[in-house]
Amino acid sequence: MRKISLLIFSMLFVVTLVLSGCSSSSSGSQSSSKNEIVFWNPFTGPDGENMKQIVEAYNKTNPEFKVKNVSMVEADMYTKIPTVVNSGKGIPNLTIVHAERIKQFVDNGMLTKFDDLLADYPELKAENYVPAGWNIGEIDGSRYSLPLDVHSFVMYYNKDLLEKYAPNALDDNVITFDEIREAGEKSKKDKIAGIGITWTRPIFLSIYNQLGGDITSDGETPTLETPEAKEALQLLKGLVDDKITNKDGEDPGQLFKSGKAIFYPEGIWMQNSVKEAKNLNWGLTSFPQVSPDKIVNWTSSHQFVMFNDENRSEENTKGIMAFLDFVRENSLPWAKAGQNPAALETLENPEYKELPQAFLIENPEMQQTLKIFDYKYNGFVVEEVDKLVGDAIFGKLDIDKGLKAAQKAVEDKIKTNNKK
Amino acid sequence: MINTGVNKEFNMSAGIEKNPSKKSFKLSPYLYIGPHLILFTIFFLFPTLYGIYISFTNWDLIGAPEFVGFANYQEILFNQDSTFYDQLRTGLGNTFKFVLFTVPACIIVPLLLAAGLNAKPKGLKFFQALFYMPTLFSVSAVMIIFSMLFSVSFGPINHYLSVDTNWLATQPYSWIALVTVTVWWTIGANMIIYQAALNGISKDLYEAASIDGANSFQRFFRITLPSIRAQILYTVVITTISQFNVYGQPLMLTKGGPTSSTTVLLMYIQENAFGTGISIAGIGAAMAVILGLCIMVVSAIQFIFLRQRD
Repeated sequence: MRKISLLIFSMLFVVTLVLSGCSSSSSGSQSSSKNEIVFWNPFTGPDGENMKQIVEAYNKTNPEFKVKNVSMVEADMYTKIPTVVNSGKGIPNLTIVHAERIKQFVDNGMLTKFDDLLADYPELKAENYVPAGWNIGEIDGSRYSLPLDVHSFVMYYNKDLLEKYAPNALDDNVITFDEIREAGEKSKKDKIAGIGITWTRPIFLSIYNQLGGDITSDGETPTLETPEAKEALQLLKGLVDDKITNKDGEDPGQLFKSGKAIFYPEGIWMQNSVKEAKNLNWGLTSFPQVSPDKIVNWTSSHQFVMFNDENRSEENTKGIMAFLDFVRENSLPWAKAGQNPAALETLENPEYKELPQAFLIENPEMQQTLKIFDYKYNGFVVEEVDKLVGDAIFGKLDIDKGLKAAQKAVEDKIKTNNKK
Repeated sequence: MINTGVNKEFNMSAGIEKNPSKKSFKLSPYLYIGPHLILFTIFFLFPTLYGIYISFTNWDLIGAPEFVGFANYQEILFNQDSTFYDQLRTGLGNTFKFVLFTVPACIIVPLLLAAGLNAKPKGLKFFQALFYMPTLFSVSAVMIIFSMLFSVSFGPINHYLSVDTNWLATQPYSWIALVTVTVWWTIGANMIIYQAALNGISKDLYEAASIDGANSFQRFFRITLPSIRAQILYTVVITTISQFNVYGQPLMLTKGGPTSSTTVLLMYIQENAFGTGISIAGIGAAMAVILGLCIMVVSAIQFIFLRQRD
C-alpha cells in the first residue's frame, strides 16, 4: 500500500509540476485582481519601443490602472486570441488588432462595444480622428474599436535621379505611371530601374482601386476576376516587359538604397531602413497613379479593441478609456516610428509637421486618398492576391487564368467557412 | 481433513490477496516512464487525436467545432471542382518531389563524408565539427543566409559563376536551390550516426578482404554497407519522415513559387488553419491526416523493403 500511495503521490507531483509549468506562462496575462490593464499588441519590431514610450509616459501620470504592455509576434497573437476568448481565461483588457480583422471579430461576437463608454470622453469622437481610421470601427451603428494610426503604402523617390530623369513629374504633387514610364525609358540606358516592384499586394490593390475596382462588390461577394483587375495586372506587366522595373528576383530595396532606382513604392513604416542608406537624397510622395484625378493610397490601421470578458470590471474599463484618451493627445512617439497617428491632435504638433509622412493627413483632401480594403473575407483575398500578382506580372502565370483561380479559391474558402 | 481444507482455503485466499499486491508492485516501472508518459500524452497523443477529430468537423477556431463526418475528406479527395482538391494534389505532389529529391542526397552525402572521416584524415575533428555545424542552426537563419547567397544581382553564387540566374523564382533552379540548402543543413545528424556505425565494424574483416584481393569498392559494398545496414534503415526512415514535414525551406526561400511549384502541403495546411483569413481548421486537419497517412505508408514500405533484403 505504501508503495502504491508513493507512486500515486509522485505521479500527482509530476502532474502538478507539468501543469504549473504550463500555467505560469499564461498567468502573466491574467490580471483581474490587480490594478492593471493588460495591453496586447503586435509591435515586436522597432516600433515596439515607441509604443513602450507611450505606455511608460502614461504610467508616469500615476493612473489608478497602470498599463502593462505585452508585445507578441503578430501571427502568435492572432492564434492566441480565439483560444483565450473561448476559454474565458487570460483575456487581455485591451488589444491592438489590424483594421481588416475587425468585421470578422464582430461577426463572431467577440468584441465589447465602446458605445456607452464614449459618453464620459467627449473628445473621443469622429471629428478628432482621420476618417479612414475612425470609420472602420463603426459597424451597424455601434462602435467596436478606436484607431491608433493610419499607415499607408506610398512611394519613396530618389531626388537626384528624379531631377535628372523626370524634373517636372512632381509639379502637381502626383506621379503618374506615364511619368514613371517616361523616366524609366531614359534611365534604363544608364542601368537605372524606373520603379521597384516591392510588396505586390498593396501595389496591385492600389491600382485596382484607382481603376474603379474593389475586392468586394457588396461586402459579401469577392470580386477579383474583373476587367479592372486584369487591367491593373496588365499595366504592371507592361512596365516589367518594357524593363522599366527591376528584374525578377532583384531586390528593389537594395537597388533604391544604392541609387539604382528612381522610384520605390513602400510603406511609410519603412523609413528607418531607407534612412540607413547614406548619401541617399530621398523624398516621400503618394503612391503612383493612373490618373491624377483619383488618388489612392493603400492604407491599413491599428485599432484598439476590447475582447468580451465576463470578468471585465467597470473600473478597469474606465482606466482603458483614460489611456485611450491619453494616446489621442500623446501620439507623437508613434509618429516618430514612421506611422501616421489617427488622432488629429498630433497634427498641430510642429515636430510632427516636420516628419516626411505628414503630407498624407495634412488636409482633408489627402485624408480622402487613404483607402482601407475593409472586407470581412479580406484575409482570404490577400492570400490569393499574394500568390497571383508576382507570378502574373513577371510572366510566369497567365493573367486570365490566375484571376480565375484566385476568384475561385476565395469563393471556395468562403463557402467552406459558411458550411453549417 | 476439514481442518486441512480450511487451511487450503485460507492459503488460497492468501495467495489471491498476494497476487494483486505483486501486480501493483509491478506498477513501479510506470514511475520511471511516468514523466515522459504524461508529456507524451499532453503534447503528442492528445493533439494527434484532437487533430483527427477536428478533421471530421467544420471549425473556425472560434465557435464550437461542428461534426460533418467525411465531408472534408470528400472535398479534398474527390471534389475535383474544389480549390482544396487542387491544393492537396499540388501540395502533396510537391512534398513527394521534395522527398524524392532530398532523401537520397541526405543519405549518400553524409555517408560519403562519414566514410572519408573514418579514414582518419588530418584535421578530423575540425572537419567533423564543420560538417556538423549547419545542423545546429535554425531554419530561419540558414534560409536568410542562403537567400543572400542566391540573390540575383548581389549574390556571390551568381557572381562567381558569372551568370544572372534567378535561383529562387524560376524552375528548375528553385528545386536545385531547395535541395542544396536542405542537404547542407541536414548533413550532420546522419553523418554522426554513420561515423559511430563505421567505427563499430571490425578491422579484421577489411584485413581479410584485402588479403583475398578485394579492392576498395568491393570492400565498401561488401563489408561496409552490409555492416551498417541497420543504421541506414534507421536513417532512411527518419530522414524520409522529417523531409515529409518540410515547411521552412520553401516558405522562406522560394515562398512556394514560381506558380506554386514548390508549395508543399504543410504550407497549404498552415494557410487554411492559421492563415490571414478566417480559419478553415477542418480542411487543414484533414490534409494533415492525409499527410500523416502518407508518411506512415511510405515508412512501412521502406521498412518491409529494407528488411526483406536480409
